[in-house]
Amino acid sequence: MSTVAMITARGLFGRRRALMLVPLPLLLIGLAALCKSFDVEPTNWGQPVIEGLGFAVVLPVIALIVGTGVLGSEIDDGTLVHILTKPLPRRDIILAKYLVAAVVTAITTMIPLYVVGLLAGSAELAAALAVAAIVGSFAYTALFVLLSLLTRRPVLLGLVYILIWEGLLGRWVSGTRVLSIEQYVITIADKIEPTTILTGQVSVTTAAVMSAVFVIVSTIVAINRLGSFSLAGETS
Amino acid sequence: MSETGVIHDIGYQRYTGPRLGRGAGIGALYVHGLRAAFGLGRSAKAKIFPWLVAGIALLVAVIIAAIKSQFPEITFSYVDLDNQLSFMIIFFSAILAPTLVSRDLRSNTLPLYFSRPLRAADYVAAKFLAMVTAVWLLLGVPQFIMFLGAAFTTKTGMKGVWHEVQDLVPAWGYSLLWALLFAGIGLLIASLTGKQAFAAGGIVAVFLMTTPVVAVLAQLPSSAANHMAGLASPITLINGVGSYLLGSKIGLDIGRYGPIFVIEAFCLIAACLLLLLARYRKVSAL
Repeated sequence: MSTVAMITARGLFGRRRALMLVPLPLLLIGLAALCKSFDVEPTNWGQPVIEGLGFAVVLPVIALIVGTGVLGSEIDDGTLVHILTKPLPRRDIILAKYLVAAVVTAITTMIPLYVVGLLAGSAELAAALAVAAIVGSFAYTALFVLLSLLTRRPVLLGLVYILIWEGLLGRWVSGTRVLSIEQYVITIADKIEPTTILTGQVSVTTAAVMSAVFVIVSTIVAINRLGSFSLAGETS
Repeated sequence: MSETGVIHDIGYQRYTGPRLGRGAGIGALYVHGLRAAFGLGRSAKAKIFPWLVAGIALLVAVIIAAIKSQFPEITFSYVDLDNQLSFMIIFFSAILAPTLVSRDLRSNTLPLYFSRPLRAADYVAAKFLAMVTAVWLLLGVPQFIMFLGAAFTTKTGMKGVWHEVQDLVPAWGYSLLWALLFAGIGLLIASLTGKQAFAAGGIVAVFLMTTPVVAVLAQLPSSAANHMAGLASPITLINGVGSYLLGSKIGLDIGRYGPIFVIEAFCLIAACLLLLLARYRKVSAL
């Protein structure tokens, strides 16, 4: 299992691919620092930076790149065969890859959000944002790892979820927020350290329970799918 | 078993018929690109996402046309349609640009193309035009449906129809601006990677991450920065150009910096095309 994790981490960080993870967090910190240096009130810039950029773009996009990358790129390259033919339970393969993806996403999103939290207010707010980012990372990557097993176009389907479900419907149709990880993350951050910057739209119990449901159900379904995984040619 | 090495003449012949030049090559690539954009001539799976987006856009147009014919006091112009569909346009270009250029990189077809009379500039032009046409169709056709709805329910006869035409044509130009900018940026990002998944993610990341920057710049304590905040994101850049040239309020206060928006939009499109040309000056076989 540790070998699978190591191969996955090397696949993520090897070559230039890891550079794709750098600009988004840097932009997040840079914007917060810019506002801080102009002495703008955090209540004014907190919402667009933390919610609009941090939780609505940086967290899901990084989770999408990493989450679909750990399995999807191996399916694309055909190197997944080598791991599947080893005498390893499929459960261990999924768990190892999922943990690597979730931890990498958590680290890359937690650090910039912590810094932004410090700039926007207190260490408590920073810690709240970091915890929320970790929860979000685990939920998002679980979903995107599953998507890379369900379909040959996981990134497009993930973008449908981020852009259309969370971005468009989540804004207009309030009922869809119950199934939106972005709203869980905002609610959790708001609950740990209540500020005027963030307003949770769902109840905190819903947020906590649904995040756990996303993680557990996605992982179980993913293990099931990999159990009966068939290798086919690339789609046109 | 042949006892001696004899070269047999098995009848290979040179092609002596007419040869089509560069123009035909560009035309073929353009038509192929436009068909591939909507998944025509490809598997059913490739049709799902483009037609999902096109279907939503058409549905929105039909609904708006119906509402406007019933309640004439509702003001929803042709230009508003483009702005409301901006998320769908981002998603559409994230599907389109990788299909047009990343697949050629991944399947190594570029050396085959360039062993023809086709030049790199022709390839870029054909792909760019195909994507511009596709994005423009995505916006222009729904606008035309809105026009039909308005034209057939107008109460003032031909004068009303002519009035709608005067609204529609600038809006088509506005849609063309969306198409030019999104095609330029999208193709440039997609041409950097052969993996469709990474290209799609990169395009969406670029368009999405620039939008909050505008919201932040609009908060800065400087009116110049507030008016020019829209320059930071392609979407608000287009809005700014639209509100300057069309003179309509598109929910963005650009002050007296309208010309800067126009200049930046033009430079951005030109820069994307030049970078694309530079990208394809040399292609490797693997």
